[in-house]
Amino acid sequence: MNASANSGEHSHAARRGKPEPVILFWVASQMFAIAAESVQEIRSTDSLGGAANEIDQEAVPKVRHVLEWSRRSCYVVNAGAHFGLRVTRPTLVLILRGMRVAVLVDRIDRMTEIPAVYPLPQAFAGAERRWYRGLTYIDDSVIPVVAPTGFLSSEEFAALDRAIKPPVAPQHDMHGTAQT
Amino acid sequence: MSAGDNSRQNSFVLLQIGRRRFALPAGAVAELAPPVKLHRFPHTTGSVAGVIVRRRRILPVYDASSLLIEDAPSGQQIYLVARCAGAAKELSAIPVSGECEMATGEVQPPNGDRPAYVAGTLRIGEESVDVLDLAALVGSAPSTAAGAIRTEAQP
Repeated sequence: MNASANSGEHSHAARRGKPEPVILFWVASQMFAIAAESVQEIRSTDSLGGAANEIDQEAVPKVRHVLEWSRRSCYVVNAGAHFGLRVTRPTLVLILRGMRVAVLVDRIDRMTEIPAVYPLPQAFAGAERRWYRGLTYIDDSVIPVVAPTGFLSSEEFAALDRAIKPPVAPQHDMHGTAQT
Repeated sequence: MSAGDNSRQNSFVLLQIGRRRFALPAGAVAELAPPVKLHRFPHTTGSVAGVIVRRRRILPVYDASSLLIEDAPSGQQIYLVARCAGAAKELSAIPVSGECEMATGEVQPPNGDRPAYVAGTLRIGEESVDVLDLAALVGSAPSTAAGAIRTEAQP
């Protein structure tokens, strides 16, 4: 569905396709949708325990932790900071499938099916073109459908990888340092 | 060029934004839409206020008032749906007051000190009305700086 995200106009009829399961979630006062298939797990932040380690870095302020989960390291993106929303206290983390990204959100609304994802109008020319796959229309509301790949750019991944990289030639045990 | 083409080229829709009137070429205007719900979501494009759903399409709404006038208009607004002349050529909406009318006339070139989005001047009686170049208008808005993202959904 993402392939034609740059087409000019978007009638419902033109975009009808196979219904797609999505998870609707809230960050601050904004609802978002994400494809259900792109979410591997949803966890309470309280349940993560010692799996999350704080990262000391300033390059990517929306990431404060790295999560060791299922034998991989996921950078934890605060969705509120990512989308520029007001600061909240996220209670859930979405661990994305096949990616080194987990996303802090406030709460899950529900899982549902959407009939289509409509391209973001070309009038939107900023970072939102990376953030969203498009828009959908549910219950008289237009909801942005987030792009799982839009939470961290390759440059941000590189900056974070540098931040957690162990120092050169350590003389002591670096147990606990995350792999990339 | 036929007489009809010529007539259409000289036809304009006069629209009220705040206390000022502006003109758009009639050929660019698709319809006047009722004050439907404006949907907002986070984004960084300074000129866009959100989207509306109209005739089964999702249309961007340009915040023309912030670009054209100093005092934000009050009261209920309708949407003028027009085809943007830029590369996208997509239908877009501009909030206007309900007072729109048709006018015909010859467009005079703009004075040198006018903004780029003023394509010319239309003389309506004693009044001189700026003819808007919609693509130039929306292109003149700066992107929202990081940390000042246009957001906050309506309740």
